[in-house]
Amino acid sequence: MKVEQALRLLPNLEALAPLRAQLLAVSRADERTRWASAAAYLTVGKRAVEGATLRERLDGLVEQVSTHLRVLYRSVVDAIEAQEAGETHRAIAALQRAGVFEVRAGRYRQAEAWYEAALNLAAELSDRGAELELLRLRGALSLTLGQYAAAARDCQRSLALAEAEFNDSAVIAACEELGNIHRVMGESAGAQSWYERGLGLNGTHGVRSGWLLLRLGDLARERDDIRAATALLDRAREYMRAGADAAGMAQTLSAQGQVHIAQGHHAAALGCYREALVWARQGPEPANLEVDIRIRLSELALESGRWLEAEADLRQAEQAALAHGLTRSLVEIYTLLGRLSGREGEETGFVFFEQALELRAVLELDALVEADVCLAYSQFHSALGNVDASRAYLERAGETYQARGQASGAERVHRELSRLGVA
Amino acid sequence: MTTSEQQPIEHAGALPLVPTASTSRMRILAVGGEAAPASHLRRWADELEMDFEWSSDIPQAVRLLAEKQWSAVLAVFGERQDEELTWWADTLRVANVTRHLIAVADRPSMGLALRAERLGVSDLLTRPVRREAFQAALRRIASETETGLPLPAVQPHAVGPYALVGESPVMLDVYKLLARVSATTVTVLLQGESGTGKEVVARTIHLSGPRAARPFVAVNCAAIPENLLESELFGHEKGAFTGAVARKIGRFQQATGGTLFLDEVGDLSLPLQAKILRAVQEREIERVGGAEPIPVDVRLIAATNHDLRAALDAGRFREDLYYRLAVMVIELPRLVDRGDDLLLLAAFFTNHIGERYGKRITSLSHRVVDVLRSRPWNGNVRELRNVIERMVVVARSEMLSVEDLPPELRGEDKMPADRARGGLLTLAETEARHITRVLAETAGQVGAAAEILGIHRNTLTRKIREYGL
Repeated sequence: MKVEQALRLLPNLEALAPLRAQLLAVSRADERTRWASAAAYLTVGKRAVEGATLRERLDGLVEQVSTHLRVLYRSVVDAIEAQEAGETHRAIAALQRAGVFEVRAGRYRQAEAWYEAALNLAAELSDRGAELELLRLRGALSLTLGQYAAAARDCQRSLALAEAEFNDSAVIAACEELGNIHRVMGESAGAQSWYERGLGLNGTHGVRSGWLLLRLGDLARERDDIRAATALLDRAREYMRAGADAAGMAQTLSAQGQVHIAQGHHAAALGCYREALVWARQGPEPANLEVDIRIRLSELALESGRWLEAEADLRQAEQAALAHGLTRSLVEIYTLLGRLSGREGEETGFVFFEQALELRAVLELDALVEADVCLAYSQFHSALGNVDASRAYLERAGETYQARGQASGAERVHRELSRLGVA
Repeated sequence: MTTSEQQPIEHAGALPLVPTASTSRMRILAVGGEAAPASHLRRWADELEMDFEWSSDIPQAVRLLAEKQWSAVLAVFGERQDEELTWWADTLRVANVTRHLIAVADRPSMGLALRAERLGVSDLLTRPVRREAFQAALRRIASETETGLPLPAVQPHAVGPYALVGESPVMLDVYKLLARVSATTVTVLLQGESGTGKEVVARTIHLSGPRAARPFVAVNCAAIPENLLESELFGHEKGAFTGAVARKIGRFQQATGGTLFLDEVGDLSLPLQAKILRAVQEREIERVGGAEPIPVDVRLIAATNHDLRAALDAGRFREDLYYRLAVMVIELPRLVDRGDDLLLLAAFFTNHIGERYGKRITSLSHRVVDVLRSRPWNGNVRELRNVIERMVVVARSEMLSVEDLPPELRGEDKMPADRARGGLLTLAETEARHITRVLAETAGQVGAAAEILGIHRNTLTRKIREYGL
């Protein structure tokens, strides 16, 4: 049975979410269609799934759900007992632990509720240490959910409390988070100043400096300041290596690969990405990083006109994303597969964009993600000579960018519209 | 590919070694393990007049791989042998530095040996490495010279940019049928396995017929999500549904005056079959969200890899639509039934793809030809084209050699060589190999593999666990 048919049998109930994720994880490219003409356009909805395979995983899945619930229930009981003993700090810690656990499981809305409960308790305390940490965590969560205003509000409050408490470590963490928020919103000058402030406070202590340098290096690359990016990333790498931070090394190497691409040094970029993959395997979340780096590799292959390799890397990223429940990454993967089809003049490649848009909606990802997909979709239509459709998707992307105050996105849309002769 | 235990001890005699393109000596890069054993390996390589370099960690090795040319890589595996094996095979494939990987593992399992073989690993040695086994592995790599078969001249039956290649009797029958239908506008149903060239034939029919100057529009019914297929075929008005950002002209309308090719028509849902039947019978369509009927005049060519007769019996395909589509039926043969067309097609694709990549390829090695001939080609011509393209991309000389074969095919080249060296297999080894092969063919689907093997899926699961596959 095809995944799209199987999913129709699953009511949209939260209790079935782990089963839905498992269904995607066990889906396969059907052997019968492996060499069919449709295979080149295979998306997750067209993959095959066997009831028997799913049944084999049921016990494990139920065990996994039960373990998850056990941790949550224990957190509540811990919190109740702590409150009975008058230890509010311990109660807050228990609720915060549950929130962090939910975030790790990708249950962001549920995590919000745990943080909310913990914050309500924290408000009762005269000591603001717990509150400032919770605010930062909730801010980071809001950033993931695309709620930038809420994220900025929480992180600003966290920063103010940290400064009042003279908690340098929390100030630095808040600065980094605020930098991340500004960066996602396309405000690179603001992001840079937050990262620099964090770096100034942190000095030369440990991998945190490495991460801040990495962020600054990324920003420098985005504004085409290659020399600064190179220097910053080299320094980041030294910190990451000294701190044996495998994930940090992988991300720094990946960023260095992008700097090499900006300079047209494709072989050097390839070397960086390959080495990044090695480090990624040693990190705490190897699948996450692998998917990310494979996406970068495919972009490199796409730029170099090595389409077979680009497709192979994207398909590997797709497989890893599905196997590890990283369905959010599929939006970017399918957008790139769509771009690849467009380069090859394959009209049927529209299925990738449609799948990306559908996943965006189902996963309730930020509207800016949809805008990015629409922008790529419009370029696909433009390459195939479908001017009306191209314009329609550009306008759809432009509306979102403008509504969200994303100047760089709105500018790109304007450029594209001018190119089509309609701006 | 063999394990070291099966190798007789050979004496290091004369050394007819094959150097890399840029050096006069073979260069070996060893990765992992400890420094002391590496110094032994260096000495043994030196005895064979080969250069040897050792890297303690993978990141450094990756940099070395990118910086220099290597004849072979010797990787000493740690605890995660399977992952390291896959990683190295993948890395060497992408890095395109050398195809020769010598794996070294502590007590390698049969599963690891089989996977190594499948991935085209040159040799799998047991730790601690013995001088004889190490030098034998290097000599084998050095002696893998290949002779070439010049590409045969191909005369494609070309119509426009689409070429039909082949001279086998079964293809001659297809050409005769094509000649009969091309002059008409009769509806044609093309039947054949995936990859047999149904779209190429459809385009040939269109370009040879009276509507050649008008559009040829292809729709892949299996690729498009069910909820989008109707609007793709018939079009939609702006705002007809969420996501209908602009009015869309459907494929039926786009093909007006020309040919509409409905590929994978066996995958159509019953409701959509009814709508297509109506369009074919009444020669008009309605856009989704539209009220006005739009007249259409198209020649239909449909294709399927399904047995539509069986689908009729099972009620999955409408009988009335079937008879509308199957006015003329052309069966396309499987590649394995086309005899020496295989070589003609391989030559055609090599030239065609070589031109695209700016590479001049003049021959195929005899060993490559043997491998190609022994394939079951489940993906038919499409699979062959894919294999040739992958080979041309990585080729570094004017001859396509075993080194250029994709990893999954290189394993097939090794198996006869093992037997030739007298490495007789136990029953368990044979069974494990066969299970591996079937699992590979079914893309790892245990249910499908169990069906082919004729055993219960639980039995297969147990054997997979037992053999460490």
